[in-house]
Amino acid sequence: MAVADFIISLLTFISIYSLFGIGLNLKFGFTGLIDFGHVAYFMIGAYVTVVLTMPAGAAGYSGIGGFALPAIFSALGPLGSLFGWILGVLGGMIAAAIVSLAVGIPTLRLREDYLAITALGIATILTTVVNDEEWLFNGPFGINTVHSPLRDVFPVSVGSFTLNMVVFGALSIAVFAFTGYWLVRVFQRQGRRGKLILGVLVPLIAVWYFVLPTLSGGMVELTRNTLWLFDPTAGPNGGIDYDRFILLVSVAALGGGYWLTERTINSPYGRILRSIREDEDVPRALGKETFQYKLQALMLGSALAGAAGALWAINIGFIAPDQFAATITFYAFTAVIVGGTANNKGVILGTAFFWGIRNGTRFIDVPSQYSIQLAAARLMLIGLVLILILYYRPEGLLGEQDYDIPLPSRNTSGGTDDV
Amino acid sequence: MSEQDTPSSKPDATETNSRATGGCGDPILRIQGVTKQFGGITALDGVDLTVDPGITGLIGPNGAGKTTLFNCLTGFHKPDDGQISLYETDITGKEPPTIAQQGMVRTFQIPRELADMTVFENLLLAPMNQHGERLLASWVRGEQFVEEEQTIRDRAREIAAFFELDHLLNEPAGSLSGGQRKLLEIARALLTDPDIVLLDEPLAGVNPTLEQKILSRIEDLVEDGYSFLLIEHDIDLIMDNCERVVVMHQGAVLTTGPPEEVQSDERVIEAYLGGDNV
Ligand SMILES: Nc1ncnc2c1ncn2[C@@H]1O[C@H](COP(=O)(O)OP(=O)(O)OP(=O)(O)O)[C@@H](O)[C@H]1O
Ligand SMILES: [Mg+2]
Repeated sequence: MAVADFIISLLTFISIYSLFGIGLNLKFGFTGLIDFGHVAYFMIGAYVTVVLTMPAGAAGYSGIGGFALPAIFSALGPLGSLFGWILGVLGGMIAAAIVSLAVGIPTLRLREDYLAITALGIATILTTVVNDEEWLFNGPFGINTVHSPLRDVFPVSVGSFTLNMVVFGALSIAVFAFTGYWLVRVFQRQGRRGKLILGVLVPLIAVWYFVLPTLSGGMVELTRNTLWLFDPTAGPNGGIDYDRFILLVSVAALGGGYWLTERTINSPYGRILRSIREDEDVPRALGKETFQYKLQALMLGSALAGAAGALWAINIGFIAPDQFAATITFYAFTAVIVGGTANNKGVILGTAFFWGIRNGTRFIDVPSQYSIQLAAARLMLIGLVLILILYYRPEGLLGEQDYDIPLPSRNTSGGTDDV
Repeated sequence: MSEQDTPSSKPDATETNSRATGGCGDPILRIQGVTKQFGGITALDGVDLTVDPGITGLIGPNGAGKTTLFNCLTGFHKPDDGQISLYETDITGKEPPTIAQQGMVRTFQIPRELADMTVFENLLLAPMNQHGERLLASWVRGEQFVEEEQTIRDRAREIAAFFELDHLLNEPAGSLSGGQRKLLEIARALLTDPDIVLLDEPLAGVNPTLEQKILSRIEDLVEDGYSFLLIEHDIDLIMDNCERVVVMHQGAVLTTGPPEEVQSDERVIEAYLGGDNV
């Protein structure tokens, strides 16, 4: 497997978990709601989307559904069936939001720590129910008939092998160019320590990605890693394969979730959410119905987790209750805290950091008798890094983000509309 | 905006409040037999009081129950007994946001600034029923969203300048000094456009020049029809600025009346002003 393929699966993973983490950040980082049951909405999003989109009477499945939404719209061609899948995802998000509403109404009126404990309990109960009640979603056997949107359209080829290579290669290089440009800008804005960290980290990653594979695999590997969007083995003429498509979908979904959350936070609405986090009595004294806002933040964060769950399902192609253990919630908390609580960019950074360490260390070759030790060492490494970060930067790598409500500048005032 | 000079004056004063009648009409607040106990302590022991428009002083020794009364009036504590009505509407046991929406807003004795938010954001939070406070409006951002936010920023800047906080707008509120936090409390309460403001020792720790400035601002606002209930330990300040004074002692109202009358009341002297020179 070329490094590019590994990176694609890692990036897909990071995008999905970042979306999940952004949902958690909306609850925890911005509103101060400690939801230890966040993974429940991930699970609900995954299950409801899968059941809404898969065909009825699938082999080996004895639960409710499926409802075959894509098939209903497939008369309209591939886009129709894609639309059906999107409806399914919306269904999964709404289901997650509704369940969180049911959890929130009794708990959000209580002190905040009650939510934390109750949510953890409810999440565990939900996973147990899905696991034990086979009539519901097939119990412990899970569902392997996950509908994959646009599956038969891929691999997409635009013509001859050369043309494919040129088109997708150009796109790949464009992404590198953009990343490079962005890195330079980030580098310029850093202080001395940030410059040092970036100056060491980025070349290391570049060596690992470009130089090491070339040394072992030659120019073929270098080409595959550079033109990463182009898969020469996809179809007769090469092209873009389904894994890469899922990566693009996941990145787009993350982008959408990020945009929506930023918009929510950078508004009078977001001001209320943050005031609740700071001291709920203040907005209450000022006439804000904080209970409604807490409910909405919980529902919106859960809906984002639900969307992440839907993507998880198509990425893995199989869902089962044991994929949704409570540890997933705590991984997300770790990512949010490492990256910077109440910072959406920090969530993405923290998630990349966490899953980079967890999955990246798979490449370390050890004799097989040490593989268990390596798995344990990996968790210890994450724990160590977490402690170091919390000791030296308690606010996380990036710290809380800045807020701004951009308004069209007026000619009357001096344009000092900064918040 | 035509009302730049008084940022807190309501552009759309509703018919329901009595401000239109010029301030000498019905009482704003009617408090009947309000009782509140904390375990064995009776903090409020049947408080009976009516608060008329204008500026009313509330005095009494430490532990008299003044703050507890504020907490009961604004819904932060549920009274064990008794009834409270605001403009003839029963508000007993209502939630704080509901009471604030009905026009009664309070400040906290110990300032409660939102420490990690900027001073500006602390102020921008205050105005009620902002269009952008709805989720969909925050996504869509129509014209109303933009215009309201502009107006609110102008008002917040103006009031920050008045309270001499304008150079600190972009600082986190947690970095303010003790006195500045008190000022932020008052500014925030005024920005909600209330009918009546309950001020819990708002001027403790504020420098005398600014104190005079704030008091004259309060007087201006009273002219505009706003009302204030003011807890204060500085007797001279109360006597100079209040139209009526309420004296509390051991959880009950000892006496009410014009400043001169109260000042010469023997029970007041005994309970509060003098102690042993009966
Ligand atoms: N939340 C509470 N729990 C228990 N006791 C309380 C509580 N709040 C107030 N008390 C008690 O009620 C009594 C009245 O307190 P309150 O704060 O109303 O006094 P105050 O008149 O505002 O005094 P000060 O001038 O010192 O602010 C005190 O004896 C106090 O100990
Ligand atoms: Mg008090």
